[in-house]
Amino acid sequence: MTRIARTGTWPGVLLAAGVLAACLVLALALGPVSLSIGRLWELVTAGPVQGDLENAIFWQIRMPRVLVASLVGAALAVAGVVLQDLFLNPLTDPYVTGVSSGAALGATIGIVLHLSNLPWTTVLAIVGGLGTLVLVWMAARRRGRIDIFVLLLAGVTISYLASAVVTVLMIRASQDMYAIVYWLMGSFSGRGWPDVEIALFAIPFMIVPLFFTREMDILLQGEKRALELGVEVERTKRLLLVTAGVLTALAVSVSGIIGFVGLVVPHIVRLLVGPGHRSLLPVSLLVGASMMVVADLLSRTVISPNEIPVGVVTTFVGAPLFVYLLRRGRGV
Amino acid sequence: MAPLVSLRDVDFAYEERLVLRRVSFELEAGESIGIVGPNGSGKSTLVDLVDGILRPRAGEVLVNGLPTGKYRRRDMAREVALVPQHFDLDFDLAVREVVEMGAYCRGKGAAACDDAERTLARLGVADLVNRRFSELSGGEKQLVVLAQALMQRAPLLLLDEPASALDVSHQLRLFDLLQELNCGGLSVLCILHDLNLALHYFDKLLVLSDGGVAAFGPPDDVLRPEILEAVYGVRAYMHRHAGRTYLTFSPRLRSKRRGRIHVVCGGGTGAGLMRELVDAGYEVSAGALNALDTDEETGRELGLQMAVEAPFSPVGDEAHAENLELMRAADLVVVTAVPVSHGNARNIGAALEALGEGTPVWADEGVRANDFAGVTDGLADADVRFFDGEADLVAAVLGRDTAATS
Repeated sequence: MTRIARTGTWPGVLLAAGVLAACLVLALALGPVSLSIGRLWELVTAGPVQGDLENAIFWQIRMPRVLVASLVGAALAVAGVVLQDLFLNPLTDPYVTGVSSGAALGATIGIVLHLSNLPWTTVLAIVGGLGTLVLVWMAARRRGRIDIFVLLLAGVTISYLASAVVTVLMIRASQDMYAIVYWLMGSFSGRGWPDVEIALFAIPFMIVPLFFTREMDILLQGEKRALELGVEVERTKRLLLVTAGVLTALAVSVSGIIGFVGLVVPHIVRLLVGPGHRSLLPVSLLVGASMMVVADLLSRTVISPNEIPVGVVTTFVGAPLFVYLLRRGRGV
Repeated sequence: MAPLVSLRDVDFAYEERLVLRRVSFELEAGESIGIVGPNGSGKSTLVDLVDGILRPRAGEVLVNGLPTGKYRRRDMAREVALVPQHFDLDFDLAVREVVEMGAYCRGKGAAACDDAERTLARLGVADLVNRRFSELSGGEKQLVVLAQALMQRAPLLLLDEPASALDVSHQLRLFDLLQELNCGGLSVLCILHDLNLALHYFDKLLVLSDGGVAAFGPPDDVLRPEILEAVYGVRAYMHRHAGRTYLTFSPRLRSKRRGRIHVVCGGGTGAGLMRELVDAGYEVSAGALNALDTDEETGRELGLQMAVEAPFSPVGDEAHAENLELMRAADLVVVTAVPVSHGNARNIGAALEALGEGTPVWADEGVRANDFAGVTDGLADADVRFFDGEADLVAAVLGRDTAATS
């Protein structure tokens, strides 16, 4: 297997950062109104100005949208890496913990109660997501230890339960069904600066795992071996699970449920830089952001002026890629 | 100074099932101790207790005089390194990365860049350092895990059946390495199943049986046939070969004794037969044999009653009388294809006498071909059953009971 960055962390990270920068420029430039590179530079240096249409498109529409997309993509990718490697299960994605379904339930309640989109629907989504995390956590706790398989099962179960409640609510409040379905499919349409402010909270939680790369490497050998090698397994596990849960809840609350990024990005990056977390985590963060920005770009340009939900785009890109990875056998 | 490891009256249970009971032993710095015992006797549990991964239900496990519960994991890893029984990794890591993980307990940057390579070189596999872990063979993986454990630089190395997946050459290499490391000052506590390796490679052995210590001490004191019989439920035989002691085993039949057979043999013609009969549950005697004769040595290893004459001497009156006694007590006398000369001709006479008194005599046809004293014709004249070679004879003897009952 060839790897781009076998020799160290920095080449891979810098390359991925370059790719993300290119994706951001592309996403800011393209749309119903295309902007040249030179124009982008002018708009950036000018800052937000009243009464200029291109300036408004750039600062009020594209910039917050692109920022939210990149933050959500990064958060989901980091959560995906953390959860896959804690569960030692390649099919894990950030949604198996049930956090996303909990968040969806919170958002649905917000929509049904006709609370304005921000802040209450978003806040309810965060509360739903974190509440689910607490529930799943309590279910998996036995004698001071977190049983990772019980956690997985509890997550899936609560996920189904929350989805069932969402379905009931949709039927009861059929006039809101469109809004709920649209939210569930996931989208960055109409996201503004308040959404950016919420998504920015994800940044510290993306950084936390970077301090635990050695522990996460050792945990690849299983919890018992990690104990033998001197890792405080329970403490590390708790911290990383909460981090991944919060990242997922924040991502879902501002964008809905966008599939495949958290599942596929870690796998792609593992193929490129290997399973060592010193490279895997930062590169996944950057690639996750890039992939989401590009997916969002496609979603709003392919059949412009209409939008394809971004979750559909990530799935169209992600599904074949994932099948390809599975066909490679143990290459995952 | 406190011993490196000390267990005092340790009980341990998984849920309600008591796995270890009142286990006590000490390991002094620099010692190598092997742990042996049947499957399920609590060996791995004991090792996990020493490493502080499990906590005793009662009693104390002390490392350097401090209870294991008082250690943070990282401090424990600096005192005790463990080589697990099963180790695999589903992820495509480089051998160097895997080995360097062992230095985690020594803090950030503890592993100098050539550390992993040097540790692998100590094990004679420096060339593995740039390979992918997933491409290695089972034996190579085992050495890489050992290197990982050595990177902890702990004074005590625990090993849980490190050789169970290895072929004989890798096994010996591994134990030679352990011995070398032990000579270099590393204390070793190692679970293993191969009792012959245990006998040769360790200062002391701890025999666990059903959660308790069945024996603890120097290997020669501990691996005695009666202890092994009690612990494993097999017959154990000790052999001296080329200056070393070896153990061999055969399953002990728990059925009732199948009767008594006396074997007239010598020069190695009876060794196989005696062994088969003992394994089949017969009480076996033999004679008269010269001391130092191959069959006499085998008989001694098997713990048989024998009529024995001094080396290289004809059978004397005393040995002959003893031999007759043994034959009279037997249900059957078997004569192997032993060469007969005037030195042991009296054994044939004894067999005929026993036959006359009602003990049946079966003989290998071959005995007549090797007769240099002209006495075996007497066997043919009397009512002796002859068999065509040892295999037929053995089959007939072992089939005797079933034939008699059917």
